Amino acid sequence: MNPSIPPSTAEYGGDEVSAIVLDPGFSTTRAGFAGEDTPKSLIPTYYGKYAVEGQERLIFSDDVFVTPRPGLSVHNPMGRDGIVEDWDMAEKVWEYSFTSRLTGPRPGNPFQNGLNDIADGELPTEMDGVETEEKPLADSPLLMSECGWNPTKAREKTIEIAMEKWGTPAFYLARNGVLAAFASGKASALVVDIGASNISVTPVHDGMILKRGVQHSPLGGDYISSQIRALFKTNTPQPITITPHYLISSKAAVDAGQPSLAKYKTFPPEKAPDASYRTLLEERTLSEFKECVVQVWPGPNKLSATGPNGVSNEEVAKNNPGRPFEFPDGYNQVFGLDRYRVVESLFDAKAAIPDPESPFSAPTQAQTVPELIKNALNGVDVDIRPHLLANVVVTGASSLLHGFTDRLNQELMQSYPGPRVRISAPGNTAERKFGSWIGGSILASLGTFHQMWISKKEYEEHGPTIVEKRCK
Amino acid sequence: MPPFKDEHILIIAPGSQVTLAQLGLPESFTPARFRFPTRMFPAEKKGEFEPYKIRERRQGGNSSNGTDAPKEDVEMKDVEPSAPEGTGNNEAAPKPESGDQEGKKESTEGQEADGETKKETQEIFYEEDVTSDEGAISPIENGHIVDWPCFFALLTHVYNTLSPPFHTPILLISQPAWSARDREAITQFVFEKFKTPAFCLMDSALAICYGYGTSTATVVDVGKGKVDVTAVTDFLVNEHGRGIALQGCGGDYMTERLQELLGPKGFSREMCEQLKRSNITEILPAGTPLPGTAATARQNPNPAASASTGGQDGSNDTVPRGPGKGTQTGLENTNGEEEDEGVLDVAAIVSGNTSEFLANREKEKAEKSSSKKGSTDQSGKPIRLPNSKKEKASFQYAEYARLEPEKDTPNAPARYIRQTREIEVGVERFLSITPKQQTGERLTSDILEDIATQIHHTILAVPDASKRSELWDSLVVVGNGSKIKGFTHALLNTITQKYVLSPSATIFTSELPSNFSTPMPTGGTNTPAPGQSGPFNSTVNPLLVAATHSSNPAAGNMAPGTPSMDPSMASHYRSTGHSQTPTSVKTLKPPEYFPEWKEHGNSNAPGTSGSAGLGGGPNAGPGGPGAPSGGHGMEEAVFLGAQVASKVVFVIDQGLSKGFMTRVEYNENGPSAIHEYSM
Repeated sequence: MNPSIPPSTAEYGGDEVSAIVLDPGFSTTRAGFAGEDTPKSLIPTYYGKYAVEGQERLIFSDDVFVTPRPGLSVHNPMGRDGIVEDWDMAEKVWEYSFTSRLTGPRPGNPFQNGLNDIADGELPTEMDGVETEEKPLADSPLLMSECGWNPTKAREKTIEIAMEKWGTPAFYLARNGVLAAFASGKASALVVDIGASNISVTPVHDGMILKRGVQHSPLGGDYISSQIRALFKTNTPQPITITPHYLISSKAAVDAGQPSLAKYKTFPPEKAPDASYRTLLEERTLSEFKECVVQVWPGPNKLSATGPNGVSNEEVAKNNPGRPFEFPDGYNQVFGLDRYRVVESLFDAKAAIPDPESPFSAPTQAQTVPELIKNALNGVDVDIRPHLLANVVVTGASSLLHGFTDRLNQELMQSYPGPRVRISAPGNTAERKFGSWIGGSILASLGTFHQMWISKKEYEEHGPTIVEKRCK
Repeated sequence: MPPFKDEHILIIAPGSQVTLAQLGLPESFTPARFRFPTRMFPAEKKGEFEPYKIRERRQGGNSSNGTDAPKEDVEMKDVEPSAPEGTGNNEAAPKPESGDQEGKKESTEGQEADGETKKETQEIFYEEDVTSDEGAISPIENGHIVDWPCFFALLTHVYNTLSPPFHTPILLISQPAWSARDREAITQFVFEKFKTPAFCLMDSALAICYGYGTSTATVVDVGKGKVDVTAVTDFLVNEHGRGIALQGCGGDYMTERLQELLGPKGFSREMCEQLKRSNITEILPAGTPLPGTAATARQNPNPAASASTGGQDGSNDTVPRGPGKGTQTGLENTNGEEEDEGVLDVAAIVSGNTSEFLANREKEKAEKSSSKKGSTDQSGKPIRLPNSKKEKASFQYAEYARLEPEKDTPNAPARYIRQTREIEVGVERFLSITPKQQTGERLTSDILEDIATQIHHTILAVPDASKRSELWDSLVVVGNGSKIKGFTHALLNTITQKYVLSPSATIFTSELPSNFSTPMPTGGTNTPAPGQSGPFNSTVNPLLVAATHSSNPAAGNMAPGTPSMDPSMASHYRSTGHSQTPTSVKTLKPPEYFPEWKEHGNSNAPGTSGSAGLGGGPNAGPGGPGAPSGGHGMEEAVFLGAQVASKVVFVIDQGLSKGFMTRVEYNENGPSAIHEYSM
């Protein structure tokens, strides 16, 4: 191509346009262009709703964490099991995830974008056959992810939204377990995904999901939060209450364990944000707590067991230096053994801290990570089990808990002493958090993937049922 | 490709209020040489735009005296060619704008002067209306580009005004709010319209880091209507959790609040805007009693002072004018300038603390405001009571007034005069960031709280936890909205009150000392290479191991042989080797080796803040060459950074590290390839 000749606009488009990868989760929704290493857009799946002068307003994105608004309530279109409950809102949240940072609201009229000179004296006549109503994804193919147990109805609804509401020219729906395996460069793997609302184990073989082996349970990050809350309730010398930052006007330094001296803010009742808002912000403090304090007992053996030299593991854990944490109201305390206890039930259901008020019922042993893996392996062919064990992929933001992979490794070595167990967990935080998105980014940018897309034409011919046939 | 030269580099930094631009890098980096108000006026033809407000005036007669439109203005295609007249500047001696026009060619401020009047030889006159901004279209609102044709017209206007040579690489500062597609559209426009050989689209937060010479910082950019909060680590912008265009937290909030307070006293929005920019508006540290409410106020409001408030009450009336109405306007203008300078002096010295000249000063002020003669006998030494202790203070309000056409030349273009007068305000000037009565949609007590919350959120979202402490310690508060005196201090205060951890919560911390995370060549080890993943790969940052082994003061208090000393446990410190932040919060010091950027630090003098709503009016006047945009300090560090970055990207690096996109690459890959180059 001759560099001195300016290219005409017609040369862009077509396959030059990179696909958009959308990875909706329960806690966050990730979106970005295929071929990039992290999603450009990361927004909470939670959205805020409030009314101003009788008009309802919605807040998407991080803003919901920043500014409290009168009567603000927080909702999530996803159900606890990872399946969409509120389709209208899910569509809006997802749409926001890519329009805000990637595509912009909608492409402008080409005659008004300043790039096309219009011949003197004539206004451009409306072209025939050009859709006047622009759709947000009119020129980007879309790859979406879904959980391994997504029902057919939900899958069909998804392609319907993508094709009809967003107008995407090509679409594909991939299992997030498969994508996470791709992200670590494996076509066959046992994917352990520790998310916010769910933990799941997905056996993947040659890039195909082995449906019978897919296991999931609700012991995700939110469950850990509920365990931490249970711990706080039983805390000595006094129970800890979490007061989010927005309710505090200023705090004062107090000694560890001393009651808080903060000055609180009050809102008139008609303006106070909804309880769901407070819960959301408490979760934020709890995730900080998880990052800074919580630690998984690294093993070997359970926390309640006795170590090799006769000292109980709890004793050892107690002697580890504690970790301090200061709450938004200034209350602070050092957490010793307790910081191991809050996650122990992910591996040992008996260790769960009981809390009758928790929305989570007490876990059963079958819901723990080692049992899920066991069940998943039992659901697949004997021949490929060793292969899967040699390729255990750990992903999901909650797997970043201190010492999680060490413990998982110990547990697997104990359960499967024979075959070689290898865990691959990226050390990079972003790669662990966005595993399935990154896999999608890789997949959608492969040249060979082009034949997999469901085109708009095919969709128009076969209707939404095509997704079951093509996206297996 | 031949290497680029310093003097060819074109830098454009669009903002919601003002667009900064400069052609060429000076020996020592200066504040932006050109400041364009970011707004255009619709031209006669639909879809085209003019940089100046043109009013049509139909009148008979034909005249050819007067000045013509600046030739460089190509946006005026549709205006019929005006009479070429090179000597307009001299002929128009009685016109007050003459100074402006000279300024236009030489000084930086001239661009905003707008002091042009246009006419043509036809029956219809087009003249510029400098008194109002009515009908202006702002292409950028809250950082978002809302009107693309207008935005492109503005870029074209900037480009044509600077008229760079062919071999000109362009560096454009991008707003955080721009989406990927926005960036592509801009890339396409720049390559196809300007035919530039190389183009760099740089994130504003990153440019600010270049300006401050730091690789890691939390950048708080306080703009007109919004605030952006960005965490930059190792020259990488953290997109996740970034506070993009936090609305209603910028300078406009303060103006609106002042107007809410002072509106009942007859203050217009424009007055409040200028009051905000004046050096008497201040944000006092929390807990400081307002003067007049406590014993701090030594002065008793003397009758003279209250007399002078009369002018303030009647501020909506026609402005009293000086004697030489219509004839000696040039002189009057000069007077105004001198007045201005006198007040500037006050501003410079007002930080002293003796108060004996107060009465003197008050009397003088009253005298001046009653006579409005522009008395130049500044005999009295300026007062020494600090502004924060004074119950009342006055600022210089400048506005344009239209002069009546003289009788003998009825067709002469309308002329305007810039008038200044003093307006006195009370303690309201300290309340610019207090919550509005109409709290509207937010429950936070003030905008600082919103900004502080956003900073907290943004830093917590940084995945590399070991960087967070450093991010808290390298806060950079920039943007013209932060110019108001005491803003940064008050913001730090809010953060300290709400977020900084008490020492007892951190005494046991096993975190490495924060000085260990200062940038160093090995900094990259914080993010281990993805290839070597695995549970026990112990991709431990050697610095962390060193820190936890050698300089862990907390470990000393613990039982000996705690696992934290055990190398096998070191891997735990890798993933979350941190404790809570912030333990402290600090602002970064601006670099000291740019003399041009240093002096203007906190000059808040009225009229220095660029384009006021009045078509940039206050900056007009014989600023003359050599007085580049007085008063733009490090608030516009983004432009300093843009100069540093363009030097690095275009001249030193020459594209080796993919700092810019070349034309060849554009032709091959199209506009979407900009994402691989954008910084």
